[in-house]
Amino acid sequence: MSSDAGSIPAASIKKFLNTLFRQIQKNLVTFALLSSFLVASSFPQNYSFVRLSARDHPNFTRVIIELSEPLPFSVEKRDSSLLVEIETKVPLRIQRRSSESQFIESFSWTKRNDSLILTIRVKHSNFSFDYLTIGHPPKLIIDLSQVQKEMRGVRTIVIDPGHGGVESGAKGKFGTLEKDITLPISWKLKAIIERNLAFRVVLTRDKDIYFSLDNRVALANNNKADLFISVHTNSSRRKNARGSETFFLSLNASDEEARRLAYLENSSAELEERIEGEDEDEIKMILWDMAQAAYLQQSSQLAEFIQKELNLVLSTANRGIKQAPFKVLTGVACPAVLVEVAFISNPVEEKKLLTDEFQNKVAQAIYRGLVNYIRLYSQK
Amino acid sequence: MSLKRFAILGGLFILLIILIVVYFKNGGEEKIKQSLNSPPPEIYQPSEEQKEMKKIILFFLSEGDPFLHPEEREIYAQASIAREAKQAVEELIKGSQNGYLSPLPSQAKLRELFLTEEGVAYVDFSKDFQVENPSGSTAEISTIYSIVNSLTYNFKSIKKVFILIEGGEKETLGGHINLSRPFFPQYSLIAK
Repeated sequence: MSSDAGSIPAASIKKFLNTLFRQIQKNLVTFALLSSFLVASSFPQNYSFVRLSARDHPNFTRVIIELSEPLPFSVEKRDSSLLVEIETKVPLRIQRRSSESQFIESFSWTKRNDSLILTIRVKHSNFSFDYLTIGHPPKLIIDLSQVQKEMRGVRTIVIDPGHGGVESGAKGKFGTLEKDITLPISWKLKAIIERNLAFRVVLTRDKDIYFSLDNRVALANNNKADLFISVHTNSSRRKNARGSETFFLSLNASDEEARRLAYLENSSAELEERIEGEDEDEIKMILWDMAQAAYLQQSSQLAEFIQKELNLVLSTANRGIKQAPFKVLTGVACPAVLVEVAFISNPVEEKKLLTDEFQNKVAQAIYRGLVNYIRLYSQK
Repeated sequence: MSLKRFAILGGLFILLIILIVVYFKNGGEEKIKQSLNSPPPEIYQPSEEQKEMKKIILFFLSEGDPFLHPEEREIYAQASIAREAKQAVEELIKGSQNGYLSPLPSQAKLRELFLTEEGVAYVDFSKDFQVENPSGSTAEISTIYSIVNSLTYNFKSIKKVFILIEGGEKETLGGHINLSRPFFPQYSLIAK
């Protein structure tokens, strides 16, 4: 009984399976199409991914996170880790590319609610970071570097956003004013410096106001500035003029000025002796007037470092470092440069200058140049 | 011919020579005073003996590169360097004849040009020279050094150039280059 009862259903199942198998064989093409459709429809049409890569550079380590679409994110430092939180409703496919770094211990991904968190574990806890996003689809670029403990040489950095108020500087074809570009770049530069270095940053103007060139110099000298950076956008009569340039002061050398330099190079005690009997006010004025003369060597070095970084980061033509008798640089009593970020007179560069992305790049580049300079001089 | 008549003629001849000598001797030195106090005689209607021409080189901008480019020009030869220099600056304002860009605004007027004994040329422009100038470091540098180089290159006695606007000293043209001290030539800005 039991065997009969058992054999009948077994035979009918076998029969059913055979029929099904035959059916499947017949409709193999249909089946394949159907199943592939089902698989494909389980993912969104344009699936989202995140691609990670890291590479060591001489002074920093660069982590690049490529996203398939713009997503909100935040970056936060916690002890010896950097947490990058990417908000996303859909699951992200994580792709990892070359990640060779001596600076980074590990990468790990965790999910939390509607976000994906990348934890970058760094080998040293005293590291600093910068980040910026570029391109479409967006790339999040994070630069990590070890904090330099030996940066004792510099305590105060004065940033001078060119022009302001009624004095608007150069004007672009679309009506962009130089003063409106120099201010946000200076703000960004200040923020980066303060985030990474333990130095005081003073802006010569923090809003759209007129501030005379002499007052800018006085503000720098009264704050005992260790470095002075004036931020400008360039203009030329040549329509094609483009690119960034970093200037330091040129002296119009003459006998008269050589005499002034001789005064500058003397110690202050010696100087006071000499001043007695001569026209004291005049000598003081001369000293103030030519203060920059004593710092030309360092200024030229600073200009070179900044220009090098601008050339690396910006795809603008290299116009190199130059010398010219800038009014605002003449009286500054510390290494001082004037950065002409790009040509506002060139419509292509004018449009770039208006973007946050370009302004960030410029600020980053100037910052890197500064850091390289500070490193060099703190070793000396 | 009487002796008296001969003496009168002789006297007149000597007087003429003295006048000529005095005229040429004062030519070089009186110009500063003259240019400061009274308008100089009209340059463009020279008398017969002044029609001699002199070739000079002026510096303009080219669209192709950031350098200054030389262009030959003829001016009236004058007894005074200040007057020749004045013509040179006026030609510079007129612009290029070879399609170069003019580094000076065409609205600018040269009010005066005078030379000191130390070789400083004071070049005094109308306010349009500043107002019509596009502010910007590179624009300012090319404006200033096209003037400075054009003057020092052609006139060896001009060693440096001081730029004035409406008779007075200005801090800068548009917030960049220092106008409160004289400029030396910058021949490195000239195209090779």
